[in-house]
Amino acid sequence: MVENNLLSIIIFAPLAGAVINWLIGGRLKNELFSGVVACGTILISTVVAFYIAFGAGGGALFIDKPVLDQLWTWIQVGGFRADFGLGMDHLSGIYACFITFVGLLIHIFATGYMKGDPGFYRFFAYLNLFMFSMLTLVLADNFLLMFVGWEGVGLCSYLLIGYYIKRDEARKAAKKAFVMNRIGDWGVLIGVFLVFTLTGSISFYDKSIDGTQVHSALSAFAQMAQEPFAWKAIFAGGITSAAVLLFIGATGKSAQIPLFTWLPDAMAGPTPVSALIHAATMVTAGVYMVVRCNAIYQNAPTAMFIVAIIGCATAIFAATIGLAQNDIKKVLAYSTVSQLGYMFLACGVGAFIAAIFHVMTHAFFKALLFLGSGSVIHGMHHEQDMRKMGNLRKYMPITFVTMGMGWLAICGIPIWAGFFSKDEILYRTFAASGLPPNWNYILWIVGLLTAVLTACYMTRLMVMTFLGSERFHETVPETAHAHDPAHAEENAFATGDAHDDESHSAHYAAHPVHDDDDQDDEHHELPADFRPHESPWVMTLPLVVLAILSTVGGLVGIPYALSSMFGAGDLNVFERVLEPVIMHRGAAHEPTKAENGEAAKSAERAETAVSPKAAEHEPAAVHDPEEISTERKLAGLSVVLAIAGIAIGFSLFNSNPLRRLPKILVDKWRIDELYNGYIVDPITNLSREGLWKGFDVGFIDGIVNGIGHFVMELGNAVRSLQVGYVRSYAALILLGALAVLGYFIYYGWRLVS
Amino acid sequence: MDFLNNNLLTVLIVLPLVAAVVTLVYHAAAKNENDLKWVTLGFTLLNFLVSLALFSKTAVAGASGFFFEQNVTWIRSINTNYHVGVDGLSFWLVILTTFIMPIAVLSTWHAVEKRSAAFYIFLLLLESAMIGVFVSLDLLVFYLFFEASLVPMFFLIGIWGGANRIYAAVKFFIFTAFGSLLMLVAIIALYYAYANIPGGTAAGTFDFVVILNALKMGTLTFAPQTGMLLFAAFAIAFAIKVPLFPFHTWLPDAHTEAPTAGSVILAAVLLKMGTYGLMRFNFALFPDQARETAWLFITLAIIGIIYGALVAMVQPDVKRLVAYSSVAHMGFVVLGMFSFTEMGMQGAVYQMLNHGVSTGALFLLVGFIYERRHTRDITEFGGLANVMPVYSTIFVFTVLSSVGLPFLNGFVGEFLIMIGMFQSHVLGITASVNWNYIAAMLAGTGVIFAAVYLLWMVQRVFFGKVTNDKNRTLSDLSWREIGLMVPLLVLMVYMGVYPKPFLSRTTEAVKALQERVMHQAGGTIERTGLTDPLNK
Repeated sequence: MVENNLLSIIIFAPLAGAVINWLIGGRLKNELFSGVVACGTILISTVVAFYIAFGAGGGALFIDKPVLDQLWTWIQVGGFRADFGLGMDHLSGIYACFITFVGLLIHIFATGYMKGDPGFYRFFAYLNLFMFSMLTLVLADNFLLMFVGWEGVGLCSYLLIGYYIKRDEARKAAKKAFVMNRIGDWGVLIGVFLVFTLTGSISFYDKSIDGTQVHSALSAFAQMAQEPFAWKAIFAGGITSAAVLLFIGATGKSAQIPLFTWLPDAMAGPTPVSALIHAATMVTAGVYMVVRCNAIYQNAPTAMFIVAIIGCATAIFAATIGLAQNDIKKVLAYSTVSQLGYMFLACGVGAFIAAIFHVMTHAFFKALLFLGSGSVIHGMHHEQDMRKMGNLRKYMPITFVTMGMGWLAICGIPIWAGFFSKDEILYRTFAASGLPPNWNYILWIVGLLTAVLTACYMTRLMVMTFLGSERFHETVPETAHAHDPAHAEENAFATGDAHDDESHSAHYAAHPVHDDDDQDDEHHELPADFRPHESPWVMTLPLVVLAILSTVGGLVGIPYALSSMFGAGDLNVFERVLEPVIMHRGAAHEPTKAENGEAAKSAERAETAVSPKAAEHEPAAVHDPEEISTERKLAGLSVVLAIAGIAIGFSLFNSNPLRRLPKILVDKWRIDELYNGYIVDPITNLSREGLWKGFDVGFIDGIVNGIGHFVMELGNAVRSLQVGYVRSYAALILLGALAVLGYFIYYGWRLVS
Repeated sequence: MDFLNNNLLTVLIVLPLVAAVVTLVYHAAAKNENDLKWVTLGFTLLNFLVSLALFSKTAVAGASGFFFEQNVTWIRSINTNYHVGVDGLSFWLVILTTFIMPIAVLSTWHAVEKRSAAFYIFLLLLESAMIGVFVSLDLLVFYLFFEASLVPMFFLIGIWGGANRIYAAVKFFIFTAFGSLLMLVAIIALYYAYANIPGGTAAGTFDFVVILNALKMGTLTFAPQTGMLLFAAFAIAFAIKVPLFPFHTWLPDAHTEAPTAGSVILAAVLLKMGTYGLMRFNFALFPDQARETAWLFITLAIIGIIYGALVAMVQPDVKRLVAYSSVAHMGFVVLGMFSFTEMGMQGAVYQMLNHGVSTGALFLLVGFIYERRHTRDITEFGGLANVMPVYSTIFVFTVLSSVGLPFLNGFVGEFLIMIGMFQSHVLGITASVNWNYIAAMLAGTGVIFAAVYLLWMVQRVFFGKVTNDKNRTLSDLSWREIGLMVPLLVLMVYMGVYPKPFLSRTTEAVKALQERVMHQAGGTIERTGLTDPLNK
């Protein structure tokens, strides 16, 4: 066990920043002070995270055992124990590094973006609080502390989406996000119960605290036998159930079907928030959890299959919606949902490392694209509708070029980061062996189609924003929309989404004059002599850094099949680092070994899952020439398809950027309406009319009051008393109590005699 | 100091009575209503300080496992004793009572418009009765305190309540008095059952410890039907107090009409009498019956959790919303108790305290806005965060604690209760379904709904633009109001981050109770072969 008390600095520095900004920054109202505190504390986290990951004692990313830091025992009752303890192993090390680094860049960007905002200090307090929660999530050494971070990021997301508190759409989106996440949290919580019931522990690592041995729940799972593929295993209360329950949580946090609808609405928050929370970090927490629990998932093939299906379906579903959106942030939001689908597809087919690889490259290029869109929105005076942009490359060259890098990366053009990670996922899907027959091909084809769509809608975004003619002053053609805001306010879950792009334009058509009372209202008519402008350096610098990372960041994970084409050896550093985190069944490559020595093998499995040590003993992955050639062919195919997607995008939208798209896509397949109509409204109505007014007030109180009335009438009839309400009650209690008392006295009497 | 150590619990009970007398005399002499609140505040604070002596490390438990025990003959002819003592189960509830009282008094600073002497006297009488309930070890004395707590609350609602106060007060009184009358019958039955132990002294007793020992030794036994009836009599009394679905309908009315201080005390302490009573008396005296009927209580608790949340969701009145949320939260407490696992029961005891702190705080906050606007209708508000930032921040923080956000107090209790239920064996486990799992999963949905109803209310009251002109000029919290919230906010964080000091005090009592219900009763104790008094 390696201990390093510096680990807690990574999480507590941002917390300190949040507290300072809240208490002192709120009084000073000095942007420089707040900005320096916020960025400075994240800088401390970043330095410490990189130091522990790469420097201290050989670097947490390279040594066998996780670096641990036990702070205090949080809850200990009976056999249950949850520590406030941190741990950095290879997986959380990679996460901590990119979260702090990307987080730092976004913090710097935000100091420019939020300039002049009256809630500047509040914004950065929340943002720092988010970093604290997110880092707690990934550095937690047990399920429950991870859940603390899990809920914490949900809270910060709630606070930041609702940051513009005066805007209706923001507060509704905030609550929707929190509630949908909560539905997922239910799954995580029950999943943790089941994990504890099955293994007697909730710890991720083996460790000893003050002489008490705590064993790892994950290694306990690794030692269990695989549950055979069967649908009923989901409800059996075994490994599959645990895996499915945890995945429910992941669908909430990572915006997968069916809980994805909050993420596009979450774009109501400030753009740096969208970049940090709703693209780069928080939404990948679900992927983190699934990979962290890969020992559970690998022993539950049914759950793996579900993960793959949901991921794949979400990927293509969100991509189709993204194609038809006009709000630049909405396009990116659906793109994020779609890319997260890819990551779950990877998890589902057992390519956990590829999933994490895509998480990292996606963090680079999606943060870049969001910040780029933020720069555009900033330059366009808070205009988000792409139909009113065009030809911005003339005014915002740096933003244009850097976003171009992000565009190439997400489309999957070779050497840009997205190519390697996405291609790895598609290849591993194609070659997957754990699925029911032929499903690997179905998933692969859908994945390819999604890649084409991705290239297509991203090209549309670039064309509408940066190319073509200037449309700053054009009025956008109105389309009738059936949203009823009053209705959305009616229901408690507020999945009502009355703030898409149409209602934006409707909004400022109705209010051409800036409302002085509402400083946060961002929608207004652009002045006639309006010229977009490039953003200041604090905003463009992070763009440039992220553009470089999006371009070359994928090179840490070049698969052997591609690097060997150029005579290089195995350059896949990323895979080698993460290998020890993944439990090895050995099924894919050595199917024959399954029979003999099951006991010995399960022991070995356990060790590989727990301690990275075993990885060193294993020979480097064997490279089968046939596999290599397949992988190369598939890589070629995906490049061709990516280029085809870009070409389709250009041919469709270059000449006609405002091309009308199918209404069902513009309406997002009407999922919100479905949820409202069939889930939210019925529950609300049942509660109001059925439970409250019907049962509570009508039935129970009806009985009580009814007896009261009856007694009153009785009293009236005999006229022996002047009867009022109070007395009738007294009579009631007398009557009822006497009856029951009589019964008991009867028994008492029998006791005595 | 010795005097205090020997009579600590008595002092805690008597001090508020002394204060009431002082208030009365002062009022008669000085005729100055304005100073009364200072007198009351001083005495409640003093009582809180005295109660801190409970933490004394030198205290030793008596043979019966109770600390600060006192046993004095009261009425010799019926063999009833003034017997008080405190153990892990009641320890924090006593502290909670003395802690919440000064806060409740402070909250009334400008709110009592008429007859303030009577108001404060009732508050003090209430405190005395509540402490008495938690420390009594004689069933008759317990019953008297239990009933005595009813009267001051009845008047607090009926005199200083809202528009519909008479209805609410009477409803409150009738529901609870009905239950406690049943309990009285059961207590008397126990007295005679003890007197009829063959070979015994032929003297009955109301002493809880004596009866419990007789049950443990097996000298006192009940026929199944008798046992169930006695159990039911106690259980109904406490279920109404909790309140457990479907006995809950008195609560929303009582809460909504009660003055702020009344609501705070009602939520923080009075409801706990029900859950405390279930654990103290029903579990200890009738473990077999408790185990056999656990399915019923668990079902009602789960219905309460979901039902309370759904009905809370559609309430137009903020206070009524919080009241219904109480039904849901107390459902969690009952669920944890009846899981009969150490985790679940510890969680239940912890959740009693959490609910006292969080819901008490919510009622205070609702009171603040009511004093300013004289309405609690959600539609009257909107955008308050723009006008009252401090108030809004504190409110949202309290809501998060009530929602059960990790690292705030509510989470620890709810988590322990649910994992305890999940691990329980009290419900059936068949080859295809484990009903304990189902129970925990259903209870878990309550956590989702809590977020829905509270955040929806927050969204409508605090966020958005100020739509009602009357809200534009509202003043933010005064230092007095902030000051009385701060201890509660600190507790929310402390109890969420470091629950160990709280949990460790309750461990032993809870463990003993859990073992009694799950292991001792129903087999392991050797029956003495005595016939049941009923069947001889």
